[in-house]
Amino acid sequence: MSKSQNKGFTKEEELLLQDFSRNVSTKSSALFYGNALIVSAVPIWLFWRIHLIDIYSSLVLFVVVTSIATYLLALAYKNTKFTLKHKIAVKREEAVTRDLSKKLSEDKKMSKKEKDERILWKKNEVADFEATTLSIFYNNALFLTIVIISSFYLLPSFTPPVNYTVSIGATAGLLALLSTGSQ
Amino acid sequence: MFRSFIIASIFAFSAVFCETCTKPEVTSTSFTTQDATIVTNIAYIADFTLKCSNGQVPPLYAEVNGNIVPVSVVGPNQYQISWTEDIKTARSGDKLVRVLDEDGFAAARKALRSGEDLSGVSSIADVVINYPGAYNGPWLKSELLATLVSLVVAYFAISFKLKVTA
Repeated sequence: MSKSQNKGFTKEEELLLQDFSRNVSTKSSALFYGNALIVSAVPIWLFWRIHLIDIYSSLVLFVVVTSIATYLLALAYKNTKFTLKHKIAVKREEAVTRDLSKKLSEDKKMSKKEKDERILWKKNEVADFEATTLSIFYNNALFLTIVIISSFYLLPSFTPPVNYTVSIGATAGLLALLSTGSQ
Repeated sequence: MFRSFIIASIFAFSAVFCETCTKPEVTSTSFTTQDATIVTNIAYIADFTLKCSNGQVPPLYAEVNGNIVPVSVVGPNQYQISWTEDIKTARSGDKLVRVLDEDGFAAARKALRSGEDLSGVSSIADVVINYPGAYNGPWLKSELLATLVSLVVAYFAISFKLKVTA
């Protein structure tokens, strides 16, 4: 988007665009990366205590794989959130409108335009919150399940470092790939 | 004729002077394998002391599960019997060890040779080993449990997402 075009938008329009764009706010991004870091670091315990990888000699491997998995998971969160947000916004629209209209009906001074804006803003906020939590929950659940299954049942014959790298890398990659779908 | 007479006299002589245990008193302690997760066989060990009122203790043998096993002397009047069984065939419960003297041993050998039951052989004392069973690991392996729990959570996550996106 060029600067000349950007100037043409009002502040409200820019806000609206931001709400429905794929980009997420810094706060949301920090939440995603923090969560992704925790979830991708959790399997280290599994491979250290159960699969018996020596944690000190494999520190570099752990750091590299965890960083890659964190990036991929954060990407998956972001994409899933984007697809979910629209659908949730549509689903919650009626309820939010009804709820907010009832509250705002007492305020006679407020113009219809402002009321609509408030409803839109509230709807966006509700959808954003729900989409964020659901996206994190969905991706975390799938990530941990696939990691457990692949490390115990698919790749137990490989050495633990290979098992770790493939399990975590492939799972995070798979989730990132799946999140790019539109469903 | 004369030769067989000498042999018979030697046997008679040895029978008269052979050590026999009268009024045997047995006290025993036993050990069996408790954790069978990293072993292939269950070990049974019985330590027992045998006191005879006449102070004479003959060489001892023992019969376990229809087999004759040697009895080791581990101290004055202290004896030990040990054997192993495959984990799959080992059954929990009391194991009866029948302690035999030389006569009993000979009778047991004879019975085994002719394929007879050993219950007819008289023992000088009985030792009971209790095998309460060994730990074979948890019924449900932890990785299976972890997989099942994570699958349930994943099921909820997927169904919830499908509900929202539908």
